[in-house]
Amino acid sequence: MSLALSNSETAPPGSIVLDRVSKRFRKRTLMRKNYTTVKGQLMELLFGKDEQESGMFTALDTISVKVKPGCSLGVIGRNGSGKSTFLKLISGIYRPDSGSVSVEGRISALIELGAGFHPEFSGRENVYLGGVMYGLSRKEIDDRFDAIVRYAELEDYIDDPVKTYSSGMYMRLGFSLAIHTDPDILLIDEVLAVGDAGFIHRCHDTISDFRRRGKTLVFVTHDLSSVERWCDEAIWLDKGVVCGRGEPRRVIDQYMQTISEAEEQELERVNQAASEDAPDAPQELAEEPAEQDSEEEPGDVRDPEREDGPGRWGNGDVEITDVRIRGASGEKKWLFGSEDSAVVEVDYCIKQPVSELVFGIGILRVDGVAVFGTNTSLEGVEVPLPDFSAAEGEFRGTYKFHIDRVGLLENTYYLDVAAHKSDHTPYDYHHRMYKFSVRCTKPYHGVFNPKHSWSFDCSYTAESKQVQAEGRC
Amino acid sequence: MLRNINEMWRFRNLISALVGRHLNARYRGSVLGFVWSFLNPLCLIAVYALVFKYYIRFDQVQNYTLFLFAGLLPWIWFSTGILEATASISGGGSLITKAMFPAHILPTVSVLTNLANFLFAIPLLIAFMLYLGVMPTWNLLALPLVLANQGLFLLGLSLGLAALNVHFRDIQHILGNLITLWFFLCPILYPVTTIPANMRFSLIFNPVALYTNMYHDIFINGRHPDVLEFVFTLAVACVTFLLGNLVFNRYREEFAELV
Repeated sequence: MSLALSNSETAPPGSIVLDRVSKRFRKRTLMRKNYTTVKGQLMELLFGKDEQESGMFTALDTISVKVKPGCSLGVIGRNGSGKSTFLKLISGIYRPDSGSVSVEGRISALIELGAGFHPEFSGRENVYLGGVMYGLSRKEIDDRFDAIVRYAELEDYIDDPVKTYSSGMYMRLGFSLAIHTDPDILLIDEVLAVGDAGFIHRCHDTISDFRRRGKTLVFVTHDLSSVERWCDEAIWLDKGVVCGRGEPRRVIDQYMQTISEAEEQELERVNQAASEDAPDAPQELAEEPAEQDSEEEPGDVRDPEREDGPGRWGNGDVEITDVRIRGASGEKKWLFGSEDSAVVEVDYCIKQPVSELVFGIGILRVDGVAVFGTNTSLEGVEVPLPDFSAAEGEFRGTYKFHIDRVGLLENTYYLDVAAHKSDHTPYDYHHRMYKFSVRCTKPYHGVFNPKHSWSFDCSYTAESKQVQAEGRC
Repeated sequence: MLRNINEMWRFRNLISALVGRHLNARYRGSVLGFVWSFLNPLCLIAVYALVFKYYIRFDQVQNYTLFLFAGLLPWIWFSTGILEATASISGGGSLITKAMFPAHILPTVSVLTNLANFLFAIPLLIAFMLYLGVMPTWNLLALPLVLANQGLFLLGLSLGLAALNVHFRDIQHILGNLITLWFFLCPILYPVTTIPANMRFSLIFNPVALYTNMYHDIFINGRHPDVLEFVFTLAVACVTFLLGNLVFNRYREEFAELV
């Protein structure tokens, strides 16, 4: 449908200009307080607009965006960041509270699956109604009907009521109709996600073609790779403001960075909660799990089948009081890249004189796969002990475990730390109490990311021309 | 308001397609299908005829059943149209919230769909007249004028109420009751002549009563509608249409948020 808000004749079709646009919504709770009342409306009619700030929330806050004809713009952001409101403002479904929206040319919008379809009617009838809604004449729809149906792959179902369609069929019909109405601007809100691989492929071709013809595309999605593939430009909305805009790769990286930071904070919160919740004295859980542990290899990487939840046990002669993971520059961190270095810092407190002390470290993947385990005695590292004859009381110390390169693939991992005797009798064992995550730039398979590179040395032709290629991770 | 009229013209294809779809959808899935659009008013007429003609033995009007017929058809258009139109936007769902759809089309479609139903029943009415030996007169030519007049009134009312109903859903319920009262205030079950002369002036506050009179004149009494009454109702209709559009435009931008 062409509900173009043509303000000026000068702008070429396909351009979109949002000038300091804000959109606020009345909070619609079922509590009487904020709900529209007859009285409130009468007051509003009589005494002018009554804008109660408290009852409103801002979906978009003074946004200015210009989209040139032929540009394809990807809109990314977390749920509730205003992406759909943005599209609805462009399409004219919403009017801005302040600022102006001017759009030139015919718009097709796929805001929601099957919006505008009448479930009782057949695909055929809906194509005609939808076509008329998009501003086509009956004749024009007649001409395009076959192409629309063929594109949607619905030849066999076009005379069935659309209420019997699957969501994929809804989407294909909607998309096919939208693309066949010659819009200057196509707005898509995440609906393509329900298409199968084959259809998505064709969507891709169609959209490429659409762009080649100099049409404008605005595209809301959580599939960042398609933004990178399809869009000349991306904007990143967060809480109703533009956080980033420009070259898609850059904006996506910015966005991912922030998401990671938020995740990191969340992990930190979980870890803090874990160390606060953990039983202070390890004795309570004393002997039994330790026996289970007795046949383990040094390093105490435990069988996940046997031990699932987080736990802490040991006799408490030596207590581990705090565990921190730090990044290269010494900052506390819970999220690492594959290539990052890390330091595990463990504070301990020797409460009773002990004759021997071994510290162990283990890494488990979140699904229980033991990734790595070691301890000081295994590596022949002598843990310095205090002179118990010289002084009495508690002796505090900190050890650091340096990891030059994390080398793991993207996942979440548990860190186990332990203080025990050389026969593995635990003083204090922290199992699955600390979590960290690894982000990896490439979707490698497996667990471990060794330092690696590729090279070729081959002679395919008679001239034995040497081809060499190298790529490093 | 000009914008509304302009858009109605621009989307005339859409409107006619939707009217067709609604007519089609209303009885889709039922065995008798479209026949219901005749059967429904006929049943109503039969019941009123039974009660008033045979039980109450109301004998002020010759051909009482025909009298009911001529008055009830336009009333059904009016009452069903206004009730459907009022709920049309608030019940418009994703059409309003998720699609670029010109909202005022919906009440318009409700009004026109019910008008179509009325028009389809007119041959039935004329056949019934012929059966009773009441000859249609040239005054029938005034029918389109009266339809346009009442249509304007109904459309204005519908647009305003549909827009208000998005904000205050009570309206459709209040209206349901009001319509029943309104029915009895119109000379559909009784002729105007039964109203005491000194109270007859009150009809001036009820345009629908005046319209009902006009239909009676056209179909049964073989008279052309009273010109003064016609002009008066047309003026009322124009004002209503204007007000309806004003109210509608006042609220239209909030539909997508509130539906």
